[in-house]
Amino acid sequence: MTAGENRAPDAGGDDHVAAEYVLGVLPVEERRALTRRIASDPDFARLVEAWEARLSPLNDGYDQVMPATSVKQALDARLFGRAASVTPKSGLLQSLAFWRGLAAAALAAFLIAVAIPVLKPANTAPDTRLIASLASDKSDIRYLAAYDARTSEIGLSHIAGDRMAGHDFELWIIRGNDPPVSLGIIPIGASAHLAVTPAHRDLISSGALFAISLEPHGGSPTGQPTGPVVASGDLRAM
Amino acid sequence: MVPPQLTSQDITKLIARVALKDRAAFDLLYRATSAKLFGVCLLVLSDRTDAEEALQEVFVKIWTKADRFVVSELSPISWLVAIARNHAIDRLRARGQRTATIDEASEVADARPGPEAQAIADGERNRLGACLEELDAERAAAVRGAYLNGDSYAELAEQFSVPLNTMRTWLRRSLMKLKECLER
Repeated sequence: MTAGENRAPDAGGDDHVAAEYVLGVLPVEERRALTRRIASDPDFARLVEAWEARLSPLNDGYDQVMPATSVKQALDARLFGRAASVTPKSGLLQSLAFWRGLAAAALAAFLIAVAIPVLKPANTAPDTRLIASLASDKSDIRYLAAYDARTSEIGLSHIAGDRMAGHDFELWIIRGNDPPVSLGIIPIGASAHLAVTPAHRDLISSGALFAISLEPHGGSPTGQPTGPVVASGDLRAM
Repeated sequence: MVPPQLTSQDITKLIARVALKDRAAFDLLYRATSAKLFGVCLLVLSDRTDAEEALQEVFVKIWTKADRFVVSELSPISWLVAIARNHAIDRLRARGQRTATIDEASEVADARPGPEAQAIADGERNRLGACLEELDAERAAAVRGAYLNGDSYAELAEQFSVPLNTMRTWLRRSLMKLKECLER
């Protein structure tokens, strides 16, 4: 018998439930209740995600099976309407051109004109989730940033461009004409996370600006950006 | 037709662009990942029409929830498979029980990995495979069956001829042993 089996039945109850949810064995009502809990309880959501990561090697057991072409057509009709079929080759949003032209203003116009009407009504309060595309005409650095107010965490997806050796990228929040406030050094990697301190939470809101500056290794020595801003973008509610 | 092989980083970039409602990126993401996600839906639902419907709903979720990936710790493909698995299992549970006829079951039989091939792939590639081998063979099979096929506690209890509560205890203990083993 292991230590685990000596524990009281309810020890680690949430972790057991998270594991069972990920394994998939629970009845439909319990699964529905837990889906709602994941959306409203960040601690429980973290337990679930940890189990998803642990068991994900089992995904190798799923073969690849090509779906019929009609499935993608039906999907496009469902999401974009029948009239809106755009061929990827000629599409306005063709990958590189899309990113090159994606100035902050263009993104704002794009979101208002295209994205917001197709979004389903958010089931969270406004401003609990914000997103910004960070780019600049003067560099090839691109990041996508998302802020989740429930977890007070900023997620960053590194899209393109590398930092110079011996330097770090530092993330700043800028509101109106106020001086930039540092949110920390961006960890290296395709996907990075920054925890937001309680003092900085109120600064992060729709309309504020995220900016990334190039700083000496370890970050700005002065508390204000010392190097060039390599990418920036407005925060938008999703 | 073989789906294009993209690196994990490529898929991350595509999901990030989908979060910004880039349709070209969405099309590329579909081309790169729909076969894997359809494999998930088909194995869980054992019915092609049902799996096709589920796959559409999975990609609607991906389109509307892509921004959430940015705050996830999961690898991009694990995140996508988790959406597909959860959706397919919810659909399976809502349906009550499997409706697969014998014909349909044999049609999708190809999608089920042989236990040997699966064990080898798992055992050689990851620590989870090694940890599964530390469990009793029956319990490891129950964990695999539950995860891959979406079997419910009730179905597993019947399959292994044990009471439902026994199955629940088995699996909970097995999962915690796996966690312990992985953290060693």
